[in-house]
Amino acid sequence: METRISGWRIALGAVVTVILAFLLLPSLITAVISFGSSNQIVFPPTGFSLNLFRRFFAEEGWVASTWLSFRVAIWSTLLALFLGIPAAYALTRGSFPGRKILALFLLSPVMVPHVAVALALYIYFTEIRLTNGELRLVFAHAIATLPFVVVTASAGLRHIDPALERAATVMGASRLTVLRRVTLPLLTPSIIASGLFAFLISFDEVVISWFVARAGDTTLPIKMFSSIQFEVSPVLAAISTMLTALSIVVCVIVATVQKEARSD
Amino acid sequence: MTDSSGAKAAMIEISGLRKDYGSVVALHDTELSVPTGEFLTLLGPSGSGKTTLLNLIAGMASPTRGRIVINGRDVTEVPAEKRGLGMVFQNYALMPHMTVSENIAFPLEIRKVPRAEIRRRVAEVLDLVRLPHVGDRKPKELSGGQQQRISIARCIVYKPDLILMDEPLGALDKKLREQMQLEIRRIHKELGITMLYVTHDQEEALNMSDRIMLMNARRVEQIGTPDQLYFAPRTQFAADFIGASTLLDATVAETGEPALLRLSASESCRVRLHSAAPVGTVGKLLLRPEALRLVQNGQVTAGHNVLHGHLDNTLVTGATSKHFVTLDNGATLAIQELTDPSTTRLEPGLRVQVSWPPETGRFLEN
Ligand SMILES: Nc1ncnc2c1ncn2[C@@H]1O[C@H](COP(=O)(O)OP(=O)(O)O)[C@@H](O)[C@H]1O
Ligand SMILES: [Mg+2]
Repeated sequence: METRISGWRIALGAVVTVILAFLLLPSLITAVISFGSSNQIVFPPTGFSLNLFRRFFAEEGWVASTWLSFRVAIWSTLLALFLGIPAAYALTRGSFPGRKILALFLLSPVMVPHVAVALALYIYFTEIRLTNGELRLVFAHAIATLPFVVVTASAGLRHIDPALERAATVMGASRLTVLRRVTLPLLTPSIIASGLFAFLISFDEVVISWFVARAGDTTLPIKMFSSIQFEVSPVLAAISTMLTALSIVVCVIVATVQKEARSD
Repeated sequence: MTDSSGAKAAMIEISGLRKDYGSVVALHDTELSVPTGEFLTLLGPSGSGKTTLLNLIAGMASPTRGRIVINGRDVTEVPAEKRGLGMVFQNYALMPHMTVSENIAFPLEIRKVPRAEIRRRVAEVLDLVRLPHVGDRKPKELSGGQQQRISIARCIVYKPDLILMDEPLGALDKKLREQMQLEIRRIHKELGITMLYVTHDQEEALNMSDRIMLMNARRVEQIGTPDQLYFAPRTQFAADFIGASTLLDATVAETGEPALLRLSASESCRVRLHSAAPVGTVGKLLLRPEALRLVQNGQVTAGHNVLHGHLDNTLVTGATSKHFVTLDNGATLAIQELTDPSTTRLEPGLRVQVSWPPETGRFLEN
């Protein structure tokens, strides 16, 4: 009996290790390659250098694309928060007819395939003659990230004890005061978390961007994607490493913020 | 608002108040008048409509019909934040992102009280609830009892005319609950604020209240002082819910002073009727354990009622003891007496009599 259980445990541990390795290895290999000294993608690398990172900052276009991605991510995140937080509030606190349908509708961008959303937005933007490429990207990304904001903020709101809002109301607080002094402060961790996730999703987005971007507006992922069609530049490894680092930093911030909120 | 007779004006006047949720009645038509300064407890089992009534008064639900007047002002259509009431919740409802002081200052800030006065009044109420040193802590760093004191402090700091409390001690353990009952009573006495207190714990209601409003099945069952509810319950529900009680089947056999009740084919007893129940009225006889005496052969006081039975067992709980007796008609009842060494060692199965004076029994119609 005893040995059977530990046998199972070893087997389970092995499976888990293999799965983790399978998930992590590509990122690790890329990270290792990015610190190599060769100008080709080779593994294992022949020596250590920051050469590839240097090339990223020196070569034409990479930095500009990165800035564009940053700008689009920031504006689309702000837009998604601006629309998504009030929507989440209405959906969780309100009771009006069609609430469920509206919730489903707000989540639809994750349920419809991204390609379909991308094509729809392409047609739509052409129809309304929205020609500014950066604006097109901002609007498109806001739509793509909105469901994540609504879901995260709704979960946060459902976590807030309604008795707190009622207590504030009975004490004489107007709706606006309750929102400002009670609901929003308690929701802040969720707002930060959803904003950071929206930022990451936008920063990483390829499919929709590919459809709606104009010729001059290449975000970082688009530029990476198109560059790989001509040559497999090892600079891509350096960029991937930086993007992975960014994701990790964001996830750590989210985890910290939520932990602090929970201990409050 | 004092009328010509000089009696205190009512803090709450409720007339024809009713709340429906679709086809569910959450509160049947209710009348209630609460004098200023009174401590009134809404007592009743879970689901009897206590919270519904409290929420209607607080303005957190709007009535299906009826009117609510608080301190002379009709507030039926007034939103909760403009009623100027205080409310204490079972789970304290302290703001987790604010310190204790900030929590207490919050209602004063809403009222735009100047900074210096806020600081003074926060310190004052922290003293009043006997927690002067916790101002800088977060609520979660306090025990449950302390948090509830802070939530009471947050309530009294803005001096509302009326404080509503919905099972405020429900989350505390028994010992702390008794301590907090005294604390709330003391605060009520010191400040003279009218309090409307909800509980399902009859002991708590008896301990604390000037008057008790007993609720059952979403309507008012009886309203009166703790004494009235205990000694003169008007219904079997009230008799059963408040205090320990034995209810025996009974039929009015003779009217008169006192009347005769038939309990079984061979047994009857005398009781003073408080309503004009004609001969043949069916109901129950209420007997309180502490009004009964355990008697061994031949010691019955003249004029007292006697029933025969045998002893099941005796429980000595300290200063008092409980005898459990099965009557010859099959009913069982409990007798509570001061512990007496001569009756604690009685053999189970012993033939005994139970006796009580006619004025302590109470006939309640079905
Ligand atoms: N929001 C609601 N919707 C439907 N029924 C309700 C609602 N609130 C209360 N009720 C019903 O009203 C009755 C009284 O409830 P409540 O006032 O909460 O009782 P208590 O506080 O005495 O336990 C219950 O039967 C309950 O089911
Ligand atoms: Mg209740």
